[in-house]
Amino acid sequence: MHDDAPRAAGAGVRPVPFRGGGFRPQTNTYVSLAVFAGLILLWEGGSRAGLISPIALPAPSQVIVALADLVRTGMLWKNLSVSLMRLGVGWVLGSILGIVVGLLIGLFTIARAALLQLTSALFAVPKIALLPLFIVWFGIGESSKIATILFGTFFPTVIATYSGVDNVDRNLIRMAQSFGLSWGSIVRKIILPGALPAILSGLRISSAIAIVLLVAAEMIGAQFGIGAYILQAGSLFAIDQLIAGVTILAVLGLFISWAIGRAERHFLDWRS
Amino acid sequence: MRLLADRLGHRYGTTEVLRDIRIAIGEGEIVCIVGPSGCGKSTFLRMLGGLEQASTGQVLLEGEPPAGSLNPITYIFQDFALLPWRSVEGNIRLVLEDHRLGAAAMRRIVDDVLERTRLAEFRAALPRQLSGGMKQRVAIARALAVRPAVMLMDEPLSALDSQTRELLMDDLVELWTRERFSACYVTHNLAEAVRLGHRVHVLSRRPGRIRETVEIDMPLAERAERAAELEAMQRHIWLIMREEARAADRELADAR
Amino acid sequence: MRATATGGSNMALTRRQLGANVVAGGVVAGGVVAGGVAAGAAFGIVRNARAASEPVKIGILPLVSHAPTIIAQAQGYFAAQGLAARLVTFQAAEPMAVGIASGDIDFGVTAITGGLVSLADKGAVKVIGGSLAEAKGVEGQKVLASNAAYAKGLTSLAGLKGRSYAVTTAGSSFEYVAYKAAQKAGFPASEIVFRPLQTIPACIAALKTGQVDAWDMLPSVTDPLLKAKVAHAIAAVRDFIPGYQVTAVFTSTANINKRKEVVQRFLAGFARGIDDYDAALVAKTMAPKQIDAIVAEIHKYVFSAMPLDKARAHITHGVMRVNAGAALNVASVADQLQWLNANKLVPAGSTMQRLVDTSFVKTI
Repeated sequence: MHDDAPRAAGAGVRPVPFRGGGFRPQTNTYVSLAVFAGLILLWEGGSRAGLISPIALPAPSQVIVALADLVRTGMLWKNLSVSLMRLGVGWVLGSILGIVVGLLIGLFTIARAALLQLTSALFAVPKIALLPLFIVWFGIGESSKIATILFGTFFPTVIATYSGVDNVDRNLIRMAQSFGLSWGSIVRKIILPGALPAILSGLRISSAIAIVLLVAAEMIGAQFGIGAYILQAGSLFAIDQLIAGVTILAVLGLFISWAIGRAERHFLDWRS
Repeated sequence: MRLLADRLGHRYGTTEVLRDIRIAIGEGEIVCIVGPSGCGKSTFLRMLGGLEQASTGQVLLEGEPPAGSLNPITYIFQDFALLPWRSVEGNIRLVLEDHRLGAAAMRRIVDDVLERTRLAEFRAALPRQLSGGMKQRVAIARALAVRPAVMLMDEPLSALDSQTRELLMDDLVELWTRERFSACYVTHNLAEAVRLGHRVHVLSRRPGRIRETVEIDMPLAERAERAAELEAMQRHIWLIMREEARAADRELADAR
Repeated sequence: MRATATGGSNMALTRRQLGANVVAGGVVAGGVVAGGVAAGAAFGIVRNARAASEPVKIGILPLVSHAPTIIAQAQGYFAAQGLAARLVTFQAAEPMAVGIASGDIDFGVTAITGGLVSLADKGAVKVIGGSLAEAKGVEGQKVLASNAAYAKGLTSLAGLKGRSYAVTTAGSSFEYVAYKAAQKAGFPASEIVFRPLQTIPACIAALKTGQVDAWDMLPSVTDPLLKAKVAHAIAAVRDFIPGYQVTAVFTSTANINKRKEVVQRFLAGFARGIDDYDAALVAKTMAPKQIDAIVAEIHKYVFSAMPLDKARAHITHGVMRVNAGAALNVASVADQLQWLNANKLVPAGSTMQRLVDTSFVKTI
């Protein structure tokens, strides 16, 4: 029975059937693009054949015409620039404040006791319901629009930051203490970088929230802006413009998501 | 400089974990603490370095640390405790940055410890790129960088496979031979204790007390060659510990 | 009622809030109250329905101006026409208009806005009658100036030049009123700075705090503001838009083509509702007991979140006229359409032919 060389397929000898594999979906850019293009072609075909009512959905070609009109009249940049300013300022301020408050909650018992429940409660408040109050508090100029986005992005950032701080490896902090690092050094060199993955994924979410809230923000006395453009298209039932505006927001969302992905790869390359 | 534990005792809530521990770590001495799991070894080590407060008794320092010691009592951790986002060099610099040494002095210290631990070629590597053994070498280099008077080593080799452990023990022996550092070395591995310890304290199960103290006066450098004698010593310690370990094994885990 | 037709989704709670304003004197976020109303009313009531009757769904907003429909339903005027009518409550005019375009709802009442004209241009809906209108001898809409602007000389329409004016959205009837005001005062409407604020509460908040200089609204909203001395009235809308057709009745083009007779029966029932509405709330010629009964019916849909005793004042105050027989002021509609076209707020070349079918009601 020491003949362990495989024999040619004789009676009763057969290979073990392969049972592994699967469960590892891969992404394929070409397939994604093909599906996307296919859907748009179907949509266009359906619209032209009259299967899709123009009331239900405008043809993609009409949306493209609306987008081209925006570009031609220079309104695209005019709308986009004010929206980007509101998004940028609101999101950056909301994120900075959110990280600061999240750190306070993550680091200090008093701050945690005072702010944690408050944050959770206010997080759930729909900011849109507060719009009339925002007008009274912040006016109808830029500040109320920025405040809407700021409030919307502040709370998720707070929660992402403090849970990130909570999840920093306590052994690393103990190590730092054992080497006599100062409190400030521990926060700067251990806690902040340790919480960075959570903070960045919080920023990814808050950026999407910021775009969602852009439309709400531009409900308040905005003459220009992608959100204002969408609102006006909606009220005039100009659905080609409506879809065009939504497309711009979607592209903006994709771009921000891509940029944060880049930032993650850059700042978090230490993760295995 | 000597580090003394004077009748240390500790309890978490109603659970007493340590009782009446008296230990002295003299200059150039490696003192090993062994005991069954859950006997409070790691708690004891945290108290020695001031990371935890004892319920009773105290930890004392006798004499002055050597000149130039930046952090007289320095730990080496089981899980290495390296910052994953810093390179090898960055991890060593971390513990020097707060001391305002100046760029040149810092560079000199880093170069020196990397040289002594033979890590110079890994200086830019991130922890995730290193094997467990290399990570612990980085942690040792980091500890050496602050010129400790006493090193507190908490199961430093337990996270490593047995071959790497052998290699690192050789490294530690060589390092001690060169530098005569003093250390308190906590382990549950008796082979490590008899290879590295000048003295081995055997703790009882919880509440941990010193069951017995074994002096090993064989020079560290010779121990690799005299495996048979060590084996006998290890057997002796194991006989002391066996009943405690068996009883501890059957205890319900609570209080941490 | 024009406020409903223009704005965002907050329209209905808007009005309920306005009620709250009178009591509390402040802008109250009333979102919670509105939900229950919608749920309770969504199923409507079907009374005296005959077995062989024709099912129709009528969209309403929980506003007093929709009371003719509520009264006609409650008094069985639709049933008398052989219609099994069901009232479907909406919280904003836009979804109602889209619901009619898609055939989910058969009839509705809303303002002549860009959105409605756009749907009409796509061949989906048509105006078939008139509803709320400015009329002589009945309290109507007013143009308000904020206290700050009033103090700085905004005391007449001429003062609007260079001032800011609250509107819900571009192309809303607010903008039309401001345009007509500018025309009356003799300066181009482009001299007015429009502030789109989407919702009525936002407009009120902005006016109260002086962040916009002017705004116009129905008496049920303007009167409490004037009473609370948070704004000044500078003009009555009927003085510069005589016969203003504020809202219109509309249905789907499919209904006109395929169920013409049902449309006629609906309008007949609706006209009887209007008569009762006028007698009870505008002319107040009805016996007080009957008025109370009608107010109680209206209260099932309008201001239903507050007790009847409190709601009564809100329901009966400042009610504007609805044209008898749902007569349509074609000239007013044409003027509004002309303005929408001139400002490119509707698809190019939208015509009265595509917007209005005048074969059903008397035209003025």
